[in-house]
Amino acid sequence: MMKYMMTGGAMLCALATAHGAQFKLPQFETTKLPNGLTVMLMERHEVPLISVRAVVRAGAVNDGPQAGLANLTGDAILLGSTKHDKKAIDEAFDFRGATLAGGGATEQTTVQANFARADAPALLPLFAEIVQQPGFDNAELDKLRARKVSGLKQAKESPRQVAGIYYRSMLFGDAPYANPPGGTVASLQALKQADVKSFHGRYFRPDNAAIVVVGDFQPAEMKRQIEALFGQWRAEGPAPQRVDYGKPVTGKPRVWLVDKPDAIETTFLIGGAGIARNDPDYVPLQVLNTVLGGRFTSWLNDELRVNSGLTYGANSAFAPNAQAGVFSISSFTALPKTEAALDLALKTYNRLWDKGIDKATLDSAKAYVKGQFPPRFETGDQLASLLGDMFALNVERAQIDNFMRDVDGLTPEKAKALVDRHFPRKNLQMVLVGKAAEIRKIAAKYGDVTELDISADGFKPGAK
Amino acid sequence: MGWKLRTRLAAACAAFGLAASAQAAFTADQVKSFTLPNGMKFIVLESSAIPNANMYTFWKVGSRNEAPGTTGLSHFFEHMMFNGSKNYGPKMFDRTMEANGGSNNAYTSSDVTVYQDWFPASSLETIFKLESDRIAHLTIDPKMVESERGVVLSERSTGLENSNIRMLMEDLNSVAFSAHPYSWPVIGFESDIKAWTQQDLVNYFRTYYAPNNAVSVIVGDVKAEQVRTLATRYFGAIPKRPLPPAVKTVEPEQKGERRLFVAKPSATSANLMVAYKAPAADSADHYALDVLQSLLTEGKTSRLYKALVEKQLATSVGADATDGFDPGLFYVFAVAANGVDAAKVEKALLAELDNVVKNGVTPEELAKVRNIKLVNLYRLQETINGKAQQLGNYEVFYGGYAKLFDAPAAYQKLTPADIQAVAAKYLKKAQRTIGVLAAKEE
Repeated sequence: MMKYMMTGGAMLCALATAHGAQFKLPQFETTKLPNGLTVMLMERHEVPLISVRAVVRAGAVNDGPQAGLANLTGDAILLGSTKHDKKAIDEAFDFRGATLAGGGATEQTTVQANFARADAPALLPLFAEIVQQPGFDNAELDKLRARKVSGLKQAKESPRQVAGIYYRSMLFGDAPYANPPGGTVASLQALKQADVKSFHGRYFRPDNAAIVVVGDFQPAEMKRQIEALFGQWRAEGPAPQRVDYGKPVTGKPRVWLVDKPDAIETTFLIGGAGIARNDPDYVPLQVLNTVLGGRFTSWLNDELRVNSGLTYGANSAFAPNAQAGVFSISSFTALPKTEAALDLALKTYNRLWDKGIDKATLDSAKAYVKGQFPPRFETGDQLASLLGDMFALNVERAQIDNFMRDVDGLTPEKAKALVDRHFPRKNLQMVLVGKAAEIRKIAAKYGDVTELDISADGFKPGAK
Repeated sequence: MGWKLRTRLAAACAAFGLAASAQAAFTADQVKSFTLPNGMKFIVLESSAIPNANMYTFWKVGSRNEAPGTTGLSHFFEHMMFNGSKNYGPKMFDRTMEANGGSNNAYTSSDVTVYQDWFPASSLETIFKLESDRIAHLTIDPKMVESERGVVLSERSTGLENSNIRMLMEDLNSVAFSAHPYSWPVIGFESDIKAWTQQDLVNYFRTYYAPNNAVSVIVGDVKAEQVRTLATRYFGAIPKRPLPPAVKTVEPEQKGERRLFVAKPSATSANLMVAYKAPAADSADHYALDVLQSLLTEGKTSRLYKALVEKQLATSVGADATDGFDPGLFYVFAVAANGVDAAKVEKALLAELDNVVKNGVTPEELAKVRNIKLVNLYRLQETINGKAQQLGNYEVFYGGYAKLFDAPAAYQKLTPADIQAVAAKYLKKAQRTIGVLAAKEE
């Protein structure tokens, strides 16, 4: 029941001086242990909390044909160590009000915890144990996998949860970036304990990982603790190398129509190739996207919601990875209004070229991104996540340090050049999740249509 | 209804944490408060970790103030508050705020409507200009009303499309309450959304948006004196009005278990919701019920997680409670694992609740929940938003923001017997409503 629901959208991941006020990324220290482990420490004392995060440079792009393996491994880490079983781990963290979570994304697998400063002596060693010596107990692994299989099926009940996975699958085709991070029912069911152990062995190694600690600690002491807990971790054999994870395929306009027969609305994504996370234009593009679809008064929200009442929300976002990314406009509308909403979204998008961005609008967007910046990095967890992304996605500190300069330096002329360079204009790609029987003909207006059944496993055509 | 859960946690964490720690991010004497002659109250907390501030304005109006035919009007009105006032025409509220580095949102519950602004502290005066103009001089443009209807209809349908729990909760409320307005959804019924008249909206504004029916909380890199000056300048001249009429309906006592079924053909597994009649937010049982809620569902060692998720009967469990001026509901819900039928999940869930009623809880569990509350307090107080939400909730629902600092004692003195007592008092078969959502009825 909110005025505006924030649906996805790329977060700005850089820091700098805010709108007319002093705001800086807190100091942090990056060191490398002799075993190759990167350690990032950021000291903060507002509240007596510590956020710790293990970041491993491996994710769905490393799954190969075993979709969901990185993600399963990230979660299976929590099932206990070789010294402490799952029950002991759960009780140790839960009893202290600590959180402990794992996960596998496209290019990073993380284990993260958050706890009171006073609990660090008890919980840090357990954290170090599960990261380096997970038990992967088979009975627990079976249970986890079964829950994940149920979760995958349940996700398809909600178009919003899966539309983006189809979209990436469509754009990246057979390349690693197309892999669904959570896997598919069939791929998950086939994963064995040996697969998880093998993935852990290949990628969880000090020269492929970082330990990020943010919060209320003394750096020298924390550094000693991290060295004591992770200094004996050894890598064997050559470190894993990154390969080419693929580029979006956008040779012709295409539509993937995902049939959900009981849908009462159509959920859609439209777009094409985006940028890599470390693209030199990353920051100014966030400002331009703010104008198009990144805030309440954005063109897309203004047209699709405010002026026409077609939807509760419309937005756009660049979703970058380390090597390549996608761009998408996204919204949803009542089934009978599908065509009107799609046409209006496209027409609005074309304003980027038809009319361009005037100075007043650009100035407003610049003020907005600067003003909304500090609260994005208010908590230890938010800062740990930023440092983790810098490690996993090759984001240079310069991008962060130059945030203000890059925002302030934007002019209408530069904006125009950036629009031409980075926003996909031709051969737009589209995913529609809705009732195919009623929108099939509409879909055909926008490109070659491929129909998928949402209840079929996976996120590609032809899946059973 | 994610915000409800958040609200609940906010309130509970505040109370508990302060009991155990001298390191909470703020203390009672740091909170400043004043009331303008027109009755509008302001609560201010100076907090300078980031150069930003927020303003959360709580209006004591929600769907409980509606009637059949006007359901959803409070929420619809929340939308209309962004659609133009005397000095800031249609769209100008958002445009002005965003050009000054600010953003905003708002939410409506059964009991309150809350407007949230987030902005660089340097834009404080602009925010006051915007907020006061729409309170003093809202224009309700019929053209904007028409387009906003579509927005809210879309909001309603996208919620039902994407959230089974929301769909189930909406229908469950209508079964659990036979007379009280908590019966209908906050967003309203489709036919009512389509039917509001211009006069309904004008009346609503006059009745509920009186300055003496609001509390504004400002937290951030501001000075309390500066806030007082701006509040006086911009809100001071808005006239006080009679307080809105009281909600008179009292829900009759429930005499037996009620059940409902919701069919959703694409549901791959059953969703189960069990809701018990529960007291108003300011009940003396509040803290014990809050502990009970955590003990049942918070964390992997909670009772229901162990009994349902670890045993592969469900993929998730949760609990929620309404923060209400009137007696409401204590919800427990679960999503069944693939292939597990709802009856089996229900049986296991009810057995766990009965177990608490019959055998009580352990001192260790109580100690665990105390620790959880403490660390959650720190997490909440890490942000200016958490602080504002917490102060506002206490002010509106728990007898005043200062109660936040009294609550620790109330939590500290709880014993396992107290928890068992509230479980026995409220988790009664005759007082519950059980809802199941699944692809087809068993």
